[in-house]
Amino acid sequence: MYILVLLMPLLSAIISGLFGRKIGTKGVGVLTSTCISISVIISSCIFYETVLNSSPTYIKLWRWFDSDLLITYFGLQFDSITSIMLIVITSVSALVHIYSIGYMSGDPHIPRFMSYLSLFTFLMIVLVTSDNFIQLFIGWEGVGLCSYLLINFWLTRIKANKAAMKAMLINRVGDIGLVLAMIKIFDEFGTLEFSTIYSIMSLSSLNLYIDKESITIICLLLFLGAVGKSAQLGLHTWLPDAMEGPTPVSALIHAATMVTAGVFLIIRSGPLFEGSPLALTVVTVLGAMTAFFAATTGVVQNDLKKVIAYSTCSQLGYMVMVCGLSNYSTSLFHLMNHAFFKALLFLSAGSVIHAISDEQDMRKMGGLIKSIPFTYTMILIGSLSLMGFPYLTGFYSKDLILELTYDKYYIAFAYWLGSLSALLTAFYSMRLIYLTFITNTNSKKEILIGVHEPSLNIIFPLLLLAFGSIFVGYWGKEVILSNVIPPIVSNSIKAVPLIFSLLGAFLAFVVYDRLVRVSNIWYYPINYKKIIAQNIKNEGLFLNLTGGYSGRIIGSIYHMVYTFLNSAWQFNYVINHFFVRNIWKFGHLITYRVIDRGILEVIGPRGISRIFIKLTQFISNLQSGMVFNYALIMIVFTTLFLSGASIL
Amino acid sequence: MFYEYLTVGIILFILGVLGIVLNRSNLIIMLMSIELMLLAISFLFLINSVVIDNLIGQIFTIMILTVAAAESAIGLAILVAYYRVRGTIAVRSLNLLRG
Repeated sequence: MYILVLLMPLLSAIISGLFGRKIGTKGVGVLTSTCISISVIISSCIFYETVLNSSPTYIKLWRWFDSDLLITYFGLQFDSITSIMLIVITSVSALVHIYSIGYMSGDPHIPRFMSYLSLFTFLMIVLVTSDNFIQLFIGWEGVGLCSYLLINFWLTRIKANKAAMKAMLINRVGDIGLVLAMIKIFDEFGTLEFSTIYSIMSLSSLNLYIDKESITIICLLLFLGAVGKSAQLGLHTWLPDAMEGPTPVSALIHAATMVTAGVFLIIRSGPLFEGSPLALTVVTVLGAMTAFFAATTGVVQNDLKKVIAYSTCSQLGYMVMVCGLSNYSTSLFHLMNHAFFKALLFLSAGSVIHAISDEQDMRKMGGLIKSIPFTYTMILIGSLSLMGFPYLTGFYSKDLILELTYDKYYIAFAYWLGSLSALLTAFYSMRLIYLTFITNTNSKKEILIGVHEPSLNIIFPLLLLAFGSIFVGYWGKEVILSNVIPPIVSNSIKAVPLIFSLLGAFLAFVVYDRLVRVSNIWYYPINYKKIIAQNIKNEGLFLNLTGGYSGRIIGSIYHMVYTFLNSAWQFNYVINHFFVRNIWKFGHLITYRVIDRGILEVIGPRGISRIFIKLTQFISNLQSGMVFNYALIMIVFTTLFLSGASIL
Repeated sequence: MFYEYLTVGIILFILGVLGIVLNRSNLIIMLMSIELMLLAISFLFLINSVVIDNLIGQIFTIMILTVAAAESAIGLAILVAYYRVRGTIAVRSLNLLRG
């Protein structure tokens, strides 16, 4: 049964990939959904056995690497972390499978799509169930590959191609960190199995065997891997671009599962991270910065999916941040909760996009609350859960994270960044809802008339995920957080995240309900000059309040800030300009032109051939055709020969 | 006495060589230079045969005379044939085969 949880998705991937044409579109949908649903049931059983009955299971399958120094088995390990991850992966994946049947209907390549989704699920399960780093790496690379395939699913679109390549390459930067970490781990511990490493680490608390500095290096390298996969600050640029894939893909890969692999890696390597305070501090600080950065960016995005993508990035920052405070189970809890409400958000966003004929720009939506109230409800539940509204799922983990951060007084920086991100999270969630559903519509009439509620295949997963978003936190908190001691903080501090969230939501309403009506400046900042001029003419309230000249200054400052945030703090620009372009130039000028086509050519084939050709031309020019020249040469050389012979 | 004769022979030979090398106009001069070289060689053979009192040098001289006669006959024949084809006997125009 334990192995079956792996095999069912693999089976469905193989069958729908290889025989998809035979069993047809509907058959593929039913088959893959059934297989993954069976996986869900099995993983529930595994959860029951390993967590509730607290009996972790280890399965050694067969020897894989078998040399003198390194013996690695294919092995499966089902402990509480794994089983919780399994629940998350399989349930979200099953719902996404069912959702895709409705969402992708009409697409000509459904078998391929379903096959990729199932393959992704399989590799993700391989990732979480492995009992050693190498097998984890199979899953790690595999989900990266599936991410590439799925982002690039509509492979005729050049933007999708580029986004897929970007995702693959940036992930690869992190993968190098993971590989180096594995090499270093093998160097230090002589093994790559979790159980052995962690038992050695428990010895090293006696400071006997393991070098502290190399632990720090290992942890930083592992964290580099997590940064790449979990889209932390610096290597996060692939995640917003990955929205080029179909929406179910974004929900499955870029919200619920693949990006959590980095966090999972940190949670899994928790005992290693415990050995290095420096690495933990780095993890916390970078996580907090990611949370804050992504939240600020999410506030001004206009693409419906990108807002949610940045919120994913922000929530991942929370998870990583709390990992750095050694509260791994809290991180895991937030991971689980986040998977449910983020999948809900993405899938309902997909439903919105589906409803208004594939329009993703929030500025061209609005007023959908009357026509699709069900989707509105779903997105509202997801958003409230995301912003940690009391007694919804997000509340149980998010507030706890902030309290735990506050408890570690030396890193108050992270606490305030996290709280501000909570405010911003609420702000952009409400902004999304407001712009999409509540405000006056901006879409064309024929589109607005065609808006409709999605089919049953889409409604069913949304409903289940909504239940998850409401109840999972309440159900899970006793199970997962059993070993977390709630920090003793004052009531005012406990209230801060909640107040911030409510304030953020309220602010969003105020800003968009009042100011937007007054001045279009919030909508179309690109044309702010024209609009300001227009407003001066119309004597708009905004400018009346601030005065004409200072209004212009405020407008230009606003424009600068808006552009800065809208372009995600110019990260893409900076990375492209300072890293990618220089490396590209270096590759072309130095390694290609100077070394490959330059030095090596000259001392290699081309230089030698040129010298020989010149030499032979010179020698053959001696044969001029003139008889007297021949005679002279013959005489000269005969003389030389004779004189040489006489010397000898 | 012997050295003067030897010098004359060698000078004659060098004159023949120079006649071949420096001559760019006439093929007949070239043949004549070859004859001159052969003559110088025969002369040296004769001198040496007298000096070391050995008959073999004179035998060689007679053979060289024979060879020279044959060679000039063949050379003149080639010259005539060449003249028939090209209409000139300038050495300068003998440059069709180049490396």
